[in-house]
Amino acid sequence: MTVVRWSLVVLGLLAVVSAPWLIGEGTQRFLSEAMLMLAMAQMWNLLAGYAGLVSMGQQVFVGLGAYCLFFASISLKVAPFWVLPLAPLLCAAVAAVVAVFMFRLREAYFAIGTWVFSEVVSLLVSKTERLGGERGVGLPTARLVDPRWLEPLTFWISAAIAVASVAGTYALLRSRVGLGLMTVRDNDVAAASIGVDVWWNRFIAFVIAAAGCGLAGAVSFTATLYVAPGFAFDPNWVVAMMIIVIIGGIGTLEGPILGVIIYFALREALTVVFGLSAGWYLIGLGIVAIAAILFEPDGLWPMVRGRLGGDWLSVRREPPAPALELSAAAQAAGGVRSSPTEFGATPGDR
Amino acid sequence: MIWVETIINGVLYGGLYGLLGVGLALIVGVMRVVNLSHGEFIVLSAFLGVSLVGVVPWLHPLALLLPVALIAFVLGFVLQAVLINRVVTRPDPFAGILLTFGVAVVMRNLMVEVYGADPRHLQAGRLAQASAGIGDLHVGVLPLLILALSVALFTGLQLILTRTRFGRIVRATADHRDVVRLMGVNPGRVYNLVMGLSLALASVAGMLLAIRASFTPYSGVERLLVAFEVVVLGGLGTFWGAMLGGIALGVAELVGLRLDPNAGPLYAHLLFLVGVLLRPNGLFRGRS
Repeated sequence: MTVVRWSLVVLGLLAVVSAPWLIGEGTQRFLSEAMLMLAMAQMWNLLAGYAGLVSMGQQVFVGLGAYCLFFASISLKVAPFWVLPLAPLLCAAVAAVVAVFMFRLREAYFAIGTWVFSEVVSLLVSKTERLGGERGVGLPTARLVDPRWLEPLTFWISAAIAVASVAGTYALLRSRVGLGLMTVRDNDVAAASIGVDVWWNRFIAFVIAAAGCGLAGAVSFTATLYVAPGFAFDPNWVVAMMIIVIIGGIGTLEGPILGVIIYFALREALTVVFGLSAGWYLIGLGIVAIAAILFEPDGLWPMVRGRLGGDWLSVRREPPAPALELSAAAQAAGGVRSSPTEFGATPGDR
Repeated sequence: MIWVETIINGVLYGGLYGLLGVGLALIVGVMRVVNLSHGEFIVLSAFLGVSLVGVVPWLHPLALLLPVALIAFVLGFVLQAVLINRVVTRPDPFAGILLTFGVAVVMRNLMVEVYGADPRHLQAGRLAQASAGIGDLHVGVLPLLILALSVALFTGLQLILTRTRFGRIVRATADHRDVVRLMGVNPGRVYNLVMGLSLALASVAGMLLAIRASFTPYSGVERLLVAFEVVVLGGLGTFWGAMLGGIALGVAELVGLRLDPNAGPLYAHLLFLVGVLLRPNGLFRGRS
């Protein structure tokens, strides 16, 4: 099994590394866009599906990441890729401060609060001439990168970010923080009563999601070589993240992957094959999202997994062994079955 | 004097903002669902107004408020009956948000396809220019009329909810959805009527706002944001609070624009953020 898994990893790595020589520039750009979108959707999924935080202001981090990269690269006069790590750092720092205030708001209030925050940042950037104002700024330092390598580098970085977003979320959810997050999502009062620090778990998820969106946003705007507040802080970023996660399956790691595939397949099918306008494509996506919420509230992934079988990227845990023995003993003694302890969070776990 | 005028204009504008939010406050108060397509319905009613003006150009737009409100009522009734009632009983508090979000995406893009993305405006003729004055103070007649209409609608809504049998049923359903079933009330049907009422109020606000400012199919996002700020600032489910919240936002926006001409709605948003962080339960929490 491990041999199969490792050979798959090596094959995947080879495919990604050799891709720029095998596929055209247009395809590379398309795949980069899809992979960055996957990373953003996965971050939104971490918030909404695991931390119980529906943020409608994630676009603020997409935009901040892009602006951070542009201005760091221009003022330091270095190629944009060298200052890439600054984007997630800035976004994480901003998110850490914002969380202190925004976490006073719950559910829909939080959603709108984050959205208003994003609008405020967008308006402030539009008003600041030093940041390019409403017209935005270009990225002259992109010339420091050999033009032949610009597209492949973007592609590789996008692929790395996409893989990191899935693998990182997986690792996070398997950790104590992840366990804490899931207890909070399922019942925050009960979680608090067994000693889970609700606030801290949500804080970690919010900061990570902000950093992820900032990184993906920075790379995304490097590809376009131009950033303006209207595009960077566009609510359509979060609209895309939400639609992808809802269709694919909220609260599963595979859901956003499936959602991204459907999102971009539908876009190509409707706009390229049938020649419909982008508007009709968004109408189609909206209808699919409505149908998903009505008939498959958990998204399409649970259905697909049912067909395929297997455990995939499940973060489900085995019940702790003593509980199993106890229940076996109880059954053997003909006693009452012990209650299920699937998520057996022990006191102090967070 | 210019400041007094700015503040008066802010109050008049804010009355309209209050009207944008009161329908949403009603929905949130009665069924705990945040209707993210509220803004799209506000814009749709403005487009309906523009279309109707094209059909009957000899009628003043203000005379079209009633037919548009009736259409909006029917749309709200159908939206609730066909879609939202299916998720309103789910324990997941986000199902309603996500569903109406999907409705908003579909409606926004349908409006782009049908009406195009150009900015539109409802012409109110001479009324739009008329102004009344006391001494040096000059205030537009139309904004005054709009504020009067908002106050009348708020009072009407308050009377319906507190004095009529229907209002009693609505309040009882809001308090205990399951208990009213025992009294022979079908909560789904009550929700249909409440959503109709909410969108009828939204449509009046949408028409009036279209007279005062231009709109595009994409304006729904801004309208929703204003409506939600009104609801939150006013305190969940309180109607006069929504009015005061709207007025606070209107004054903040116009005073902000006077200080800083290209600020847009920045100061209104800042007021909202500060207000909600200081008092998460609303600035004007009172009886619902």
